[in-house]
Parts: sequence; structure tokens; C-alpha cells
Amino acid sequence: MKSIAEFKKGEKIKITCVQCGKNFSRRISELGLFDGSEIEIVKNDNFCPVIIKIFDSQIALGQGEALKIYGKKI
Amino acid sequence: MVKKSNFVIGLTGNPNVGKSTLFNALTGVRQHVGNWPGKTVEKKEGLFNFKDKKIKIVDLPGSYSLTAYTEEEAITSDFILEEKPNIIIQIIDAQNLVRNLFMTIQLMELGKPLVIALNMVDLLEKKKVSIDTKKLSKLLDVPVVVIKAREQKGIDELINTAIKISKRKRASGIKLSYGIETNDELQKIQEFIKVEEKISPFRLGWLSLKLLEDDLRIKQELTKKPYCFELKKQLQESVNHLQNIYNKDINTILTDARYGFIKGLEKEVISKRIEDKKKSFTEKFDDIAMNKFLGIPLFFTVMFFVFQLTFRLSAPIMEWIEKIFGMFSETVSTFLIYWGAPGWLISFLTDAVIGGVGGVLTFVPLIGILFLLIALMEDVGYMSRVAYIMDKFMHKIGLHGKAFIPLILGFGCNVPGIMATRILENKKDRLLTILISPFISCGARLPVYALFTGVFFAKHQGLIIFSIYMLGILMAIIAGFIFKKFMFKKLSSPFVIELPSYRMPTMKGVVIHVWEKVWSFVRKAGTVILFFSIIIWVLASFPVGVEYASSESVIGTIGQAVSPVFRPLGFDNWQSSVALLFGFVAKEVVVGTFGTLYGTVDIGNSVGVSLSDALQNDFSPLSAYAFMVFVLLYVPCVAVLAVVKKETNSWKWPLFLASYTTIIAWVVAFIVYQGGRILGFG
Repeated sequence: MKSIAEFKKGEKIKITCVQCGKNFSRRISELGLFDGSEIEIVKNDNFCPVIIKIFDSQIALGQGEALKIYGKKI
Repeated sequence: MVKKSNFVIGLTGNPNVGKSTLFNALTGVRQHVGNWPGKTVEKKEGLFNFKDKKIKIVDLPGSYSLTAYTEEEAITSDFILEEKPNIIIQIIDAQNLVRNLFMTIQLMELGKPLVIALNMVDLLEKKKVSIDTKKLSKLLDVPVVVIKAREQKGIDELINTAIKISKRKRASGIKLSYGIETNDELQKIQEFIKVEEKISPFRLGWLSLKLLEDDLRIKQELTKKPYCFELKKQLQESVNHLQNIYNKDINTILTDARYGFIKGLEKEVISKRIEDKKKSFTEKFDDIAMNKFLGIPLFFTVMFFVFQLTFRLSAPIMEWIEKIFGMFSETVSTFLIYWGAPGWLISFLTDAVIGGVGGVLTFVPLIGILFLLIALMEDVGYMSRVAYIMDKFMHKIGLHGKAFIPLILGFGCNVPGIMATRILENKKDRLLTILISPFISCGARLPVYALFTGVFFAKHQGLIIFSIYMLGILMAIIAGFIFKKFMFKKLSSPFVIELPSYRMPTMKGVVIHVWEKVWSFVRKAGTVILFFSIIIWVLASFPVGVEYASSESVIGTIGQAVSPVFRPLGFDNWQSSVALLFGFVAKEVVVGTFGTLYGTVDIGNSVGVSLSDALQNDFSPLSAYAFMVFVLLYVPCVAVLAVVKKETNSWKWPLFLASYTTIIAWVVAFIVYQGGRILGFG
């Protein structure tokens, strides 16, 4: 299990743990990013925000936030 | 105001699904834009006729969900619950069905009659995916109408369905199951509320769900009830119990259940044929636009063209407006002289009223063109990419990546810059951006620098002006740091943003947007600017009989009274104090005021010899530099304060802005002047 900031482009991930603040967790869970959901890394250059694909939309997530969301490769 | 209507539609949906396009298609220019009462979120309403009905449609703020955690979301659910629209239309992007349906589920839970407008089905089919809308409608038990908002197709059917379905008592007959355990707990909570209320089982279900979700508003409502204490205990027990079983946060449990239902639904209605491996245009362009190295240069190139285009196009129009007002004012004064009107009346009408109105209108082409280009960038989908590439840098001063756009606009004019803070969703982000943006040196300050550097630093004009600009940027960054540290400690809103596919902008939408911006500026800011122009005129013309803005006038007296304040900064002549007071109306007026006060005529074309001499009598190069620093940083012009008032919805912030910038200006100019003297530049 590692944070989604550590995954690379193209990797599909199952989220295992979201350790953000309550409100932020709620916000991203509404977008489909929560404990148990599956996402794909679209772009991660370890500098700019991480872009992930949730369902059919692309969401950019700050590196700081990405560090607090954990998952494992599918 | 919108006239009476007998049918109200609430239009809702996720961001970037074509909501504004549909709204514009329905109402055209018959829109009323204001703020939600007590909020800084825009409220749009429109009227249209459909058959015998006059229908009012309210554009609810775009959001992903209905929980009350952002201002936008709270507005949507408040509106639905309290203003009781006849029907809700949710517009859905067919390409992103699952995420969009999350909100549908919440709307169904809320229970008001609902129609789904399914947009962009054609784009979905281009991707070789088909959707069974009949099945979707059946499984949700909510009518689904396929529309093409952009081409205005399917809209009649949508409204027909909306009217027909509004008789329904509920959104849907489907009752979502949240899992056996959760349902049990919901039941337990309902037992409490059921005791004395005469409420429908449906509302009961909704209340219990909201309570489990920890919805603050609903909780507050129930604090008045006698069973409040026990209910709270039960809630705590239920939450603990569920979190123990699932080993998840309560919200995740509910979200999971909702998404579980939606995903099952998706499998039933969506059929994917072949996965397309070819890179789409969006992907290709994003490779450049969001590249670590190329993204920023590309953005600066785009901004360079935006500025060039704005100023090239608006300059002649602005000149033209000025000319017309000049001619108009001359004609008026000729007539008045002919009729034997007193001098003060002529001066009042020409200098204060016509001059003031003209001052407001000269901003119009600038704001119009700038916002046209910005609206295009936003509509195309480029703006979210800009936020993405600038986020790393902006984050350091506690701001969202998107805040870079209003700041850079400020170089042209702070007014559109501050208006553009609307692209920031978070209220505190907006406020912080508004507070630091006046330090960005706007175009109107340039004539002041040009005058002074021309007289005192003729050899290094470019370098000196550049240093002033850099100082402004530095001050904005420092102020950002300080505000973040002390005033908005916990704000730094986490960066999460959707990157929509690129698309063609709709001309109608862009034009309506620009028109709104310009009109609201003229109406709201215009009156404030005019008001202050008149005040300044009064101060400069009284007591009766004095020469306009001379040392005997009220403003001259004030200038003389305040000038000692500027002695430590190196410029204590009363003329510069008066010029600074006039600069409050508009910063470029400082130059003209010096011309008037030192009695030189044409300062517009070239720096008159006498003005140059006069300035050299009263300023040293060091004090001239300190003066420029002061002009850069001190109170922003009246137009800026007026839009800050408009955007923050209170006088508190413009007043705070005016005082803190002036204090900083004094301190920095003091450091520059006294420091310079110590270093031997005096």
C-alpha cells in the first residue's frame, strides 16, 4: 500500500484508505474517490498535481492531497 | 426584477455539463443576475413563455453533490427545500453518467419532482458507446429527455415533460437500499422522529438519512425538539455501530452504497463497443498545455496575446469615448455660457457629472474585451489547465492555482482582475486574492511613473519602472504570506479540480456573459465612481469663488494639512498631497493634477518644461522614487474599491483594503526614502 502520489501513469489503483480532513474526504468521495473505489493515474510528474481518472472524468489532485490517499495496484 | 410567473423550474447539475448553455437557450437575454441573499454566489433567473405558461427558471450553482459543505451546495438544497420550485431539471453529461447520477440519487432522496436532461449523447456515441435512455428512465423511475443544449434540440420536449411531471408527488418511486445494517439504523433513528411528528414516511426517511450523514442544518432544526438529547445518543450509537462493522467512515459507507447502486445501473444501460486507442484531441493538446516545461511558457504566450489584443483594441475605443465626452462637455458649457449660467454650475456639470460618467464609460471597452477573451478561455476549458500548471507556485503564497489569472489581469486594470476572482470557488481564496491584487501595478499608474522617471531618471527610465513593477509583485507575495499566516490560517483550500474535455465555446453564452459583466460594472461600480467624482469636485471648488483645486480650495487646505505626514517620505509640498487625493478617483489623474497645480497646460503630449522645472524644485530623485512607490502601493482607486464592495458584499473589506494599503505605502516609501538617505542617495 502506498500513496497515490507514488504511482505512475497508466497504473490502475484500488483505494484503500483516505486520510484527509473530514470535509475534504467528503468532497472527493462525492467525486467518486473513496475507500474501495477504483481509479487510474493519467499523469503524475511528481511536481504538478496528479491527474487521475475516476469513472469517465479527469480530476487533478494536489500532490499534498495525493500523499494522504493510499491504494494498491490492481 | 423578474415578473410574476406561475411555474418555477430549478436548473441544476454538475459543473461543465452544459447547464449555462441550456439556461441561455431557454431564456436568451431575458435574465436577471444578482447574488443569492447574503451570499457572494451569483444567482441567475430567467423568464420564458411556453404555450400559455410564463415560466421562471432559476439557475442553481453548479455542484457535484447536495450536502451542505460548500456555499453552492447549500444554496441548491436550500432553494429546493424552501422556495419549493414546481420541478427540478438536472442536466447530465452522458459521457460521465456515473458521477452525474450521484447527484441524481441525492435529488431523488430529497424528493421534489425531477426530470433528467441528458446532454452530449452524440459525443458519447462518437466514442462508440451507446446508452439505453428508456431503461435508464425506467430503472430510476425518473423521466429522461435527450437534449442537445448547444443546438437547442429536445428543449420543447424537456419543458413539456417537466410540466407534465410536476404533478408528481415525488421524484421517484424507487427506494434506495443502503445495506441491511444501515437500513436498520435508519429505522432506529426514524422511531425517534416519528413519535410526535405528522410526517410522511418519505420525509421521515430523508430526515433520518440526513441525520446519519451529520447534516448540520437538519441537526440544528431538531435541537429544538424535546427528544433531541436521546436522538443524539442514538445517532452516536448508530454511527459507531456502522463504522465498526464496515471499518469505514459513515460518509464513505453511504457514498459507497449510492455508487454501488449507480454502478449497477451503468452496467444495465451503457454498452461499450470497442475501446478506442487513438489519442483524442484533448489528450494531444494536454501533452503540451500541461507539460512541466512547456505549460507555463504556453500560458504566458496566451496571456501576452490576450493583453495585446485587449489594449490594442480598447485603446482607440477609449480615446473615442473620451473625445465624445470632451466634445459633449464643451458643447454643454458653450450653451450654458450662452444662457448665462453661473460658473460653478458649468464646472459641476462638465467636470463632475460628464467627466465622472465619461470616466466610468472609458472602462467599458477594456472590461468588455478582456472578459470576452477570458470567457473564451474558460469556455474552451483552458482555464482549469492554467490552474493546474500554476498551482505549485501559487500554493506557496497560500492561493489556489486559478488565482493567478485575476492577479495577472490586474496588470491591465485591477477592476477586471477583481471581478475575475469569481472563477475561484472558495470564498476565502477569493478574498485573499482580492486583498493582494491592488499591489499589482495597473496600467493607470504607468503615466505617473512615466512623468517622474522622465524628469528624474531619463537615462534609466525602463529599469526604474521595471523595479517599481517588481516591487508591486513582491509586496503582493509578501502580503499573501502574511494574510495566510495570520488571517486565513486554515484556508489553503485543497487542490481538486475537474479537467473537462476541450470544446468549442458557444458564442451566445460568451456574449451574454460579457454583457452581464459590463452591465453590472456600469450599474454598481459606476454609481460609486460618479459619487466620489462629485465629492472631489465639491472639495476642489469650494469655498465659492476660489480657483478650481487651488491652495485656497477645501482640497488645497486639506492638502496643506496632510502634507506634513509625507515629510518623512521626502515630499511635503501641498501639491503632491492634493495630487494623491485626486489619485483616489483614478491613479492617472495624479499626472493631470500636477499639471493643473503647477499651472502648465499641455502635459498630455510631452512633459512641459515648466512642469519638469517645478517638479525638480520640489522633488529630489530619491523623493521622486519614494513618491512613485507611494503611488504604487497606496489606496486603490475608487473603481477598485467599488468592485471590492460589490464582490465582497460589504463595506468592511474595501475600507480595510484602503487603510492597510495606505499604511503599507507609507511604511515602504519611508524605508525607501530614509534608507536611501542613509545610503547617500539623498
